[in-house]
Amino acid sequence: MFITKKHLSRRTVLRGLGVSVGLPLLEAMIPAATAIAKTAAAPKPRLGFIYFPHGAVMDKWTPKTDGANFDFPEIIASLKPYQKHLTVITGLENKSAIAAPVHAITPGTWLSCVPPRISHDPYGGITIDQIAAQKIGQDTAMPSLEVGTEERGGEGSCDRNYGCSYGKTIAFSSPSTPLPMEHNPRKVFQQLFGQGDTADERASLLRENASIIDLVRSDAADLSRTLGARDKVMLSDYLDQVQEIQRRLEKMEHQDMGQMQIPDAPAGIPAAFDEHMHMMYELIALAYQANLTRVASMMVAAEVSNQPYTFIGVNDAFHPLSHHANDPAKMTRLAKVQAFNTSMFAKFIKRLAELPDGEGSMLDNSIILFGSNMSNSNLHDHYPLPTAILGLGGGRLKGNQHLRYPDRTPIANLHVALLNKAGIPTEKFGDSTGQLTEI
Amino acid sequence: MRVKGFLAALGLAVLGSAVQADTPMTAAHTPAFKGDWHMLQTYCVKCHNSEDWAGGVAFDTMSAAAAGDDAQIWEEAIVKLHGGLMPPPGKPQPDQAARAAFAQAAEQFLDQYAAAHPNPGHMVLHRLNRNEYANAIADLLGVSVDPNALLPRDDKSGNFDNIAEVLKVSPTFLDQYFSAARQVTVTAIGNPHARTQDNFFNGPPEPQEYQYMHVDGLPLGTRGGMLFSHTFPADGEYRFTINGLVGAGYLWGELDPNTLIITVDGKRVFENKLGGPKDLDAVDLQQAAGLTMINDRFKNVPVNIRAGEHRIGITFVQTSAAESNEILHAFVPVAGMGQPVNGNSTGPRLANVEIKGPMVAQGVSETPSRRKIFSCYPQTAAQEAPCAREILATIARRAFRRPLTDSDLKGALDFYAQGRKEGGSFDAGIQKGLLAILVSPKFLFRMHEPPPGTVPGKPFPISDIDLASRLSFFLWAGPPDDELIKVAAAGALHEPAVLDAQVRRMLKDPRSHTLVTDFAFEWLNVHGLELVDPDTNLFPDYTKDLETAFETEIELFVGNVFDSDSSVVDLLTSNRTYLNERLALHYHIPNVRGGEFRAVTVPDYRRGLLGKGAVLMATSYANRTSVVLRGAYVLDKFLGTPPQAPPPGVPAFAESQEGTDQLTVRARMEAHRAQPSCNACHAIIDPIGLALENFNALGQWRDKDIDAGTPIDASGKLADGTVVNGVNALRNHMVSHASQFVETFTANLMSYGLGRGLEYYDIPTVRGIVRDTAKDHYRFSSLVLAIVNSEAFREDEIPVKTPGAPAGSLSHTAAKL
Repeated sequence: MFITKKHLSRRTVLRGLGVSVGLPLLEAMIPAATAIAKTAAAPKPRLGFIYFPHGAVMDKWTPKTDGANFDFPEIIASLKPYQKHLTVITGLENKSAIAAPVHAITPGTWLSCVPPRISHDPYGGITIDQIAAQKIGQDTAMPSLEVGTEERGGEGSCDRNYGCSYGKTIAFSSPSTPLPMEHNPRKVFQQLFGQGDTADERASLLRENASIIDLVRSDAADLSRTLGARDKVMLSDYLDQVQEIQRRLEKMEHQDMGQMQIPDAPAGIPAAFDEHMHMMYELIALAYQANLTRVASMMVAAEVSNQPYTFIGVNDAFHPLSHHANDPAKMTRLAKVQAFNTSMFAKFIKRLAELPDGEGSMLDNSIILFGSNMSNSNLHDHYPLPTAILGLGGGRLKGNQHLRYPDRTPIANLHVALLNKAGIPTEKFGDSTGQLTEI
Repeated sequence: MRVKGFLAALGLAVLGSAVQADTPMTAAHTPAFKGDWHMLQTYCVKCHNSEDWAGGVAFDTMSAAAAGDDAQIWEEAIVKLHGGLMPPPGKPQPDQAARAAFAQAAEQFLDQYAAAHPNPGHMVLHRLNRNEYANAIADLLGVSVDPNALLPRDDKSGNFDNIAEVLKVSPTFLDQYFSAARQVTVTAIGNPHARTQDNFFNGPPEPQEYQYMHVDGLPLGTRGGMLFSHTFPADGEYRFTINGLVGAGYLWGELDPNTLIITVDGKRVFENKLGGPKDLDAVDLQQAAGLTMINDRFKNVPVNIRAGEHRIGITFVQTSAAESNEILHAFVPVAGMGQPVNGNSTGPRLANVEIKGPMVAQGVSETPSRRKIFSCYPQTAAQEAPCAREILATIARRAFRRPLTDSDLKGALDFYAQGRKEGGSFDAGIQKGLLAILVSPKFLFRMHEPPPGTVPGKPFPISDIDLASRLSFFLWAGPPDDELIKVAAAGALHEPAVLDAQVRRMLKDPRSHTLVTDFAFEWLNVHGLELVDPDTNLFPDYTKDLETAFETEIELFVGNVFDSDSSVVDLLTSNRTYLNERLALHYHIPNVRGGEFRAVTVPDYRRGLLGKGAVLMATSYANRTSVVLRGAYVLDKFLGTPPQAPPPGVPAFAESQEGTDQLTVRARMEAHRAQPSCNACHAIIDPIGLALENFNALGQWRDKDIDAGTPIDASGKLADGTVVNGVNALRNHMVSHASQFVETFTANLMSYGLGRGLEYYDIPTVRGIVRDTAKDHYRFSSLVLAIVNSEAFREDEIPVKTPGAPAGSLSHTAAKL
């Protein structure tokens, strides 16, 4: 809603047969040197937190050799072209995800490392993506972007004692504020680029939004007079969000997108799952590139996803397949699914590697965490977590390393290190016992 | 929950005595707990003691005298006893009589204790969820919107997505919420200056073979295509482009002659030919150029349409299959490696439709929305301001669900004035005024306004105005209508006869259908059917229209029980269901022809919810049934004794390896249950699921397991020792304990109606409702009325505890849901 979409170029993608919707490829849309690229003399890092559910078949994920020039087992093979930018970490554990409902608390504890309270009214911990959003995201229009591919996971992503909040998102902006992962690419697009067509309309919408903010503030004050303490807290949460919207508006007023050719809005949710996943990655890349956000979080599939990966010949639903019972045939198929998820991620990395940013590429200046908060899905355990980092954070990360840490090192130690690399001085986070200085 | 540690226990004791000193309640009024303490000592304390704290419960720290302090634990204990969940199978068990006697004594105590310590609970500031938002918009502005396309997903709690505590506001939500307000107000008013816009409508989902079937709502004599509603912003010419009609390198669409038609509100506005020898030659000889030539005939088709909502149909005239190369049957099973065989059928199908327009807006005709909004229309400049005030006051009253105060209209009038000035028309001003109403937190949030002088911890009756909203959101999932507001504003709604009459009126109103689509669908979790994607290698005749038919069946089935005001036990037992030809074929029920659904009497095994395809499919995996999902579903949804989630680190169980003999699901689960740690729960869950094994993953009856090639064995022993064999025996067992089903149903309905999770202190109310409605055979309306008349519904209480209290203080562990 905040800024307006430029005049629509002729739709081409939708003309194709059998393709219901499509976001045109970015390279076709955006001139190589954008205003953003030119102005970013010392680019701040872009942060990404890409979560895949149901862990990994670990012996097909973990490199056999440690240190530099490590090998690439099946699941991470598609990342080989980016080895210089890749850090694989082995030996980490997340204790906060250990509790009976497993799936219902696994996503929400990945980046918080705080055991959630047993309550439908969510109360866990703030997540590192949101700490970053609050520290380095305040000078972009959107402090962070949260996207997913499936609106709902299977039954186990909710729990009767813990509710649904911790199973549906990896991002909490406060212990009690889960942020929804938007799965409709059209809505994400409108969130990024808004409605409307002309500069005049954009200016008028901005003015109108400013009046809306004033109006809802005054109406909230009316309401507040009659509320009890508990409800006042709810209302003040609401006003905090209004405040955030106001901040975005002010940023948006100064955003120059004059150089950027914005692609057509996606028509809706693509029928093909792989296309959908690809589109969400594209939107993140687009948001980074337009400098609308520096922090993005994504769930590549819902927790307890029952998605069958028929497009790569795996007809089993994802979650039951992940309970492979050590059947080699099932593990082979599961690894195939996981390798596919990595390959979609690798395409996103390719996109970042090709985007110029300051002196180097967007990938040089990024820190993208790619992993799961579960290890062996057949056991529902949380150690050793499949964990990889892409990007060099503007030279602050070494890359080309497979690091093997002592068994059950808290993943919070990685989170502390990542925050420091992102320029956010941090000593302790969750159950951390130090930080991973070697990355 | 009893807190571990001596100091904490001491703290509670001190607090307890302080509360007692404040209340007039004396020891003489405190009911006595008559449960057999000896049974606890024998069977429970071995694990639940102050050394081991199994499940955080230690019975040796508790006493009969102070049983009221532990009401939450006792409610939980009753569930465990009823469900046979505790003591765990394999451990020494009290006999059924002792078990029942203890549960009964605990219930009796808790009911008396609750009567002496009433607690209606508290509804926190309640944000509209997106269904309620859409219903409100339809009521206020006469515009139908797809809430899922406008607003982010709402979190669920328990079974429902209308639970106040988890309906949070995020920047994403607010962003979309403001955009939605702009979009719906422009849509409702229409826009005489509307610019040309593109809108896309996706066609039917894959596989497209069932575009051979007639689509309900399109003219007879047509087959396939799509039907949808769209609101046009202005009168004018709109251009339609239909995509995906012909294949590239395949033969669909071009082989045989067909006629495509476009309808607007059922009237044909365009037709053109597609396919036949000429088209086939064009594609064959010219390839892409030929395709373009055909597609161009269906590109930018001009149609004049007036502003407002219209039903748009794109379809094909039915042709005789005998004159074509088309296959003769209605749908084609998939072949090969699970891929739909698009290439094997030759009829035209469409992928999506693009509507572009208006090319030049030519004003805005009268529409139902505009009639609803413009209760007056100014003829002179002097009439404008009073008319604007009248329009905005009417809508604001409905939107804020109460009579207005002076400050309520200020924002809307300011916005109107601004819009009038900048937009240059009265309509533009009204659109901005409506926008101001819809973005207001007064519209977004519901609350129970405490009367002056309300003390935390003391119940107060909610005002008639707040009661009106609570009622309408319960029964209609939307705002109260003018009549309800009128009765409430007159201060009459709380009178029993008035309230009773209003509830009955509202249940008769079509808006109460939300009790089926919002309440029942969420309770039964059949909104999630799209999550199950059956493996089409195993189920070649599965198509998306089967899924739609399952949903329609269960919607009509549940709707009939509610609308005819039958006993809710009929949900388990009724042999009347609703089928169309597609579903009847699937169920192997003969003599049902055509696409429309009608009442059909079904065999015993298909009675009630246990025989519904929607339920059976929602509890299966893509490639097989799951006795665990089905067992847990019945325990949770129908019996109110949900099993615990599996513990972390569940050991792997040996499953049949590929290449060896295939095992039945029963055999696999038996291997699993051989491990005591698994058996504790699976001994209770699995027998229920096994009783349903005669239904395959798509809910079809089967006598043989196709993996193992052996006959289905649907026998098992339930937690209470009853031996059941098959679905009929399971259902009969459930019906013989009907009150347990009714209690579970009531608890769910009450949670939905209150918009909050049930707490331990609500459970005595639920039991009371079940007792009181037994004489009325658990009629649906009697349950609704009992909930509406409960203190939990009609009162509120500001909690003593404030947020920021230590973790666990808001725990719902004893809640039944």
